[in-house]
Amino acid sequence: MIEILGIFRDFESAGRAVERLVGEGFAEAQITSLTSVPYPDGALVKTGQRTRFRWLTLGCFIVGAVAGFALAAGTAWLYPVQTGEKPIIAYYPTGIVTYELAMLFALAGTIVGMFLEMGLPVWRKRPYDPAIAEGCIGISVTIHPGGEAVVCGREAETGECIGSVFSLPAGEQKSRAEEIMREAGALRIVAEEPS
Amino acid sequence: MSEPTLPAAKSAGRMNDAMLSSLRPPTLRWYLLAFFLGAVVAWGLYAFGYMVSTDMSCTGLDRPVMWGIFIVNFVFWIGLSHSGTMVSAILRLSRANWRRPILRAAEAMTVFTVTVGALFPLIHLGRNWVFFYLIPYPNQRGLWPNFRSALLWDATAIFTYVIGSSLFLYLGMLPDLAVARDRSAGWRRTLYGALAMGWRGTAREWLIFHKASTLMAALIIPVAVSVHSIVAWDFAVTVVPGWHSTIFPPYFVIGAILSGVAAVITLMVIIRKAFHLEEYLTPLHFDNMGKLLLVIALLWSYAYFVEVQTTWYAHEPIEWEVFSFMAGKYTPALLLMLVGNSLLPLTALCFRRIRRSVGAMLAISLLVNVAMFIERYLIIVPSLSHKNMPFVWGTYFPSWVELSVTAGAFAGFALMYTLFAKCFPMVALTDVRELEARKVLVPFARAELPSIAGKEAGDD
Repeated sequence: MIEILGIFRDFESAGRAVERLVGEGFAEAQITSLTSVPYPDGALVKTGQRTRFRWLTLGCFIVGAVAGFALAAGTAWLYPVQTGEKPIIAYYPTGIVTYELAMLFALAGTIVGMFLEMGLPVWRKRPYDPAIAEGCIGISVTIHPGGEAVVCGREAETGECIGSVFSLPAGEQKSRAEEIMREAGALRIVAEEPS
Repeated sequence: MSEPTLPAAKSAGRMNDAMLSSLRPPTLRWYLLAFFLGAVVAWGLYAFGYMVSTDMSCTGLDRPVMWGIFIVNFVFWIGLSHSGTMVSAILRLSRANWRRPILRAAEAMTVFTVTVGALFPLIHLGRNWVFFYLIPYPNQRGLWPNFRSALLWDATAIFTYVIGSSLFLYLGMLPDLAVARDRSAGWRRTLYGALAMGWRGTAREWLIFHKASTLMAALIIPVAVSVHSIVAWDFAVTVVPGWHSTIFPPYFVIGAILSGVAAVITLMVIIRKAFHLEEYLTPLHFDNMGKLLLVIALLWSYAYFVEVQTTWYAHEPIEWEVFSFMAGKYTPALLLMLVGNSLLPLTALCFRRIRRSVGAMLAISLLVNVAMFIERYLIIVPSLSHKNMPFVWGTYFPSWVELSVTAGAFAGFALMYTLFAKCFPMVALTDVRELEARKVLVPFARAELPSIAGKEAGDD
């Protein structure tokens, strides 16, 4: 796969480039925007709305609750303190420790899940331009080797992620994308070497 | 490179310059401040070292008052930590746009205040070198900590809150770290690059980031409430007169939010002045924070009234004795507390002119926190001084050791905050720029409409 990044001075030319790329047969799933400020979905590109990391949050919450219960109730059970007729496993303390650890694991799980779903951290060099931090807009196109369809998400509609250019050789797809972005007003093109 | 034509009211470059101004090389004044704060911290550490090398007799603690100013500090600092993250989370969930410039100051405050607060139970231990007995692990004594103790609930809750608040702060900084990375060189670039984790700002990254921020905000609020409720239970689950009260948890939570909101206002004034952020921290922000402080002061006054009124009606001898002792011996402190936490905010903050005056807001917010420190003192010391058995009634004055450690804690917080401000963006840069981007109007027929209408990015 090769990634090509076009740097645009304004929102309008970046949007024009995306429209032309889609019109040329590139799939929405191949195109993304790089911005230093978030824009609503569809303003530049469309992304899959569905995210899965919240399941990890829930899973971690349950694991944390089990860990908290084991810590509080297990401690009382393993090291019993006989206090009159009070139960060995005290209800309120066990509830409090269970709650706190469940929340701790859920918070940590949210961050871990977020990074996993973003595919971060990434330490290898990827196409990027510091001008994006200064307000420029990056439009990135991922070129797949000729004949290989773009991987679809489950929620994608048929045809949305298999662009008509996929049958062309990668080199030709790349030059077409570059040409379209230049015509739309790209300041420069940053390309990644094929991996 | 020529300045890009931005989809924003102000130029992104200019906004980056202004909001990252805190990262510029330190001035002589900054070094002098850091040196002064460092010296006070060193003095506090010396006092603590003296206490460890002698014993607790160098403090003012003695029967019957075995919890003194160290525990006052603990409750005060944990209380301060509340509003930072909580206010930020509530404003984030309620999509209050004015929140954006103050988020970072509030979230960073939480992390440092809870860190300082968490040190005080350890300082108070006496035999500080065996602090690890608190940690549940299989040890040579064959004993584990007893989870029936409210102090261990504290340890669990505060650990959760420290980790949660730090993650919340880091999450909010992620896109800003990427901007800082792109605009820096040398060790700073390496540091920001490592912390930004390869963030590029793709549409998918932003989408997931916003969903995660919302979820974190929703998760951190109940944690914050639980932490101060548990601090309140340190007192309420005992049978000490004046402490054993069902209203303590909500009363503590309200007090914590009151002191926290006031501290955020104080820090806003300082950051605004120090980093010339007048354009971003405007009178509107002080106005809105003033309204918030007014509402919380009303709630605090109500809770305090309910607490005192119930005691007065019941006239339980020992309860009333504690209250009479406090009102008699600590009259000036009690009056200052009532003025600072209730009377002054309730009267002054009704006026828009005062809420929009930066100087007045600084004075009010400082007085609220002085009053809140006194309130913590008045909760702890008088109750222990006059417990159920009159033959052990006594009193308490903090010694130079305790006062020095307290001064060290204040300086330590200020030093950590100052260092943080020099190393990391103090204003939520991308949040503010997003707001500017949303302000741009485009012509539509005979009207001008927002260019990016409707919901915020990341909304479902």
